[in-house]
Amino acid sequence: MSAFWLKIIASDHVFFNGSCEKLVVPAQDGELGILAHREAMILATQEGVLRFLTPGSSQWQEAVVGLGIVQVANNRVTVIVDTAERPEDIDEVRAREALERAKEQMRQKQSIREFQMSQASMARALSRLRVKKGPTNLD
Amino acid sequence: MANAREILSRMRSIQDTRKITNAMYLISSTKLKKSKKMLEETEPYFYTLQSLIQRILRHMPDVDHPYFDPHREVREDDRVRALIVITGDKGLAGAYNHNVLKMAQEWMEDSKHNRLYVVGELGRQFFASRHIPVEEQFHYTVQNPTMHRARMISSTVLEEYQRQELDEVWILYTQMVNSLKMEAQLEQLLPLKREDFSKIVIPADIYQEDIRMVPSPSAVMDHVVPNYINGFIFGALVESFCSEQNSRMMAMQAASDNADQILSELSIEYNRVRQAAITQEITEVISGAKAQKKKRR
Repeated sequence: MSAFWLKIIASDHVFFNGSCEKLVVPAQDGELGILAHREAMILATQEGVLRFLTPGSSQWQEAVVGLGIVQVANNRVTVIVDTAERPEDIDEVRAREALERAKEQMRQKQSIREFQMSQASMARALSRLRVKKGPTNLD
Repeated sequence: MANAREILSRMRSIQDTRKITNAMYLISSTKLKKSKKMLEETEPYFYTLQSLIQRILRHMPDVDHPYFDPHREVREDDRVRALIVITGDKGLAGAYNHNVLKMAQEWMEDSKHNRLYVVGELGRQFFASRHIPVEEQFHYTVQNPTMHRARMISSTVLEEYQRQELDEVWILYTQMVNSLKMEAQLEQLLPLKREDFSKIVIPADIYQEDIRMVPSPSAVMDHVVPNYINGFIFGALVESFCSEQNSRMMAMQAASDNADQILSELSIEYNRVRQAAITQEITEVISGAKAQKKKRR
């Protein structure tokens, strides 16, 4: 299967830089799969789980990502996200605490801005916890 | 020439100051190491994000979007411009804070309605002492920048921009060009300007790629722009933090070197004064003894 070059850049490190066969990103309206030689496009992603398959491997690699942008051009895919973590690096306790905190804040009276911030932190906590529960089987 | 005791007390005070500057040098050099690592990790993100947004702007079809709206209907005199100023929390960092604040003041002269979002204690005090109003509910430190803090800052500014309370949003930060050179940078964040990238002349025979935006250009913009602003602010925070530590380290090193130089000059002077005093004493003793000898004869 032909591959494409994938670069995943988080705000605090380069998460992945290498060739890749299949990529699934959390788009605004559901997940979106990207294969080699896709047409040039720009896409906004949501908090969620990103998966990719590197050549010669049968194991999907997963990453919990925050808000981001995906750019596809000339068979190169650049994913820019504010955060990216491997499932094994996620602290489940911390994510659970963050979820509780976000829930607590959502119950209180808040301005629109505060609401959006707690909503975003809730989404991050939820996607971290979801991936921690076990790898999702795709094939 | 000052007397020996005065020189000694001066030397002692310089030694004490030198101890402090040396300690600050050590502290800022460890902090710099940490922030440099952070900068190194953030730079790919910061620069890729900027080049990506430029690419998007190049290929962006003409759509009406609040982030592109230059608010032309607002008269020049009534335009409300916001500036995010990133200064340090403390002084003693050479020209670091002065460069930023000088640029901020120049920027403020261009228009009457300015709103300042100051990050960093020193900048806040600078404007307070000049009775220049700054946004009150905006207290963020510049130490150890985090994504969370960048999110707080960007969401504050974006919310006011979306409420049309601001016509322009600028950011002023210090970029670390290399380990010896830091430059204050003034950038306009919002509204995004399309003409910036039209300068590049594309030859007619080159195939202009067409980029599809999923689901629609304006939906992409809705998500990409806040993200871009957020990322830009984070990158600016990290760059500034690193520059601050670097300039403090350089300033403290210069101060310590200066103290060393003064100390060596003073110790030479002290020795001379001491020698002069001894010589004088000996002369006095000898001349006294001679006078006595003459008397006895």
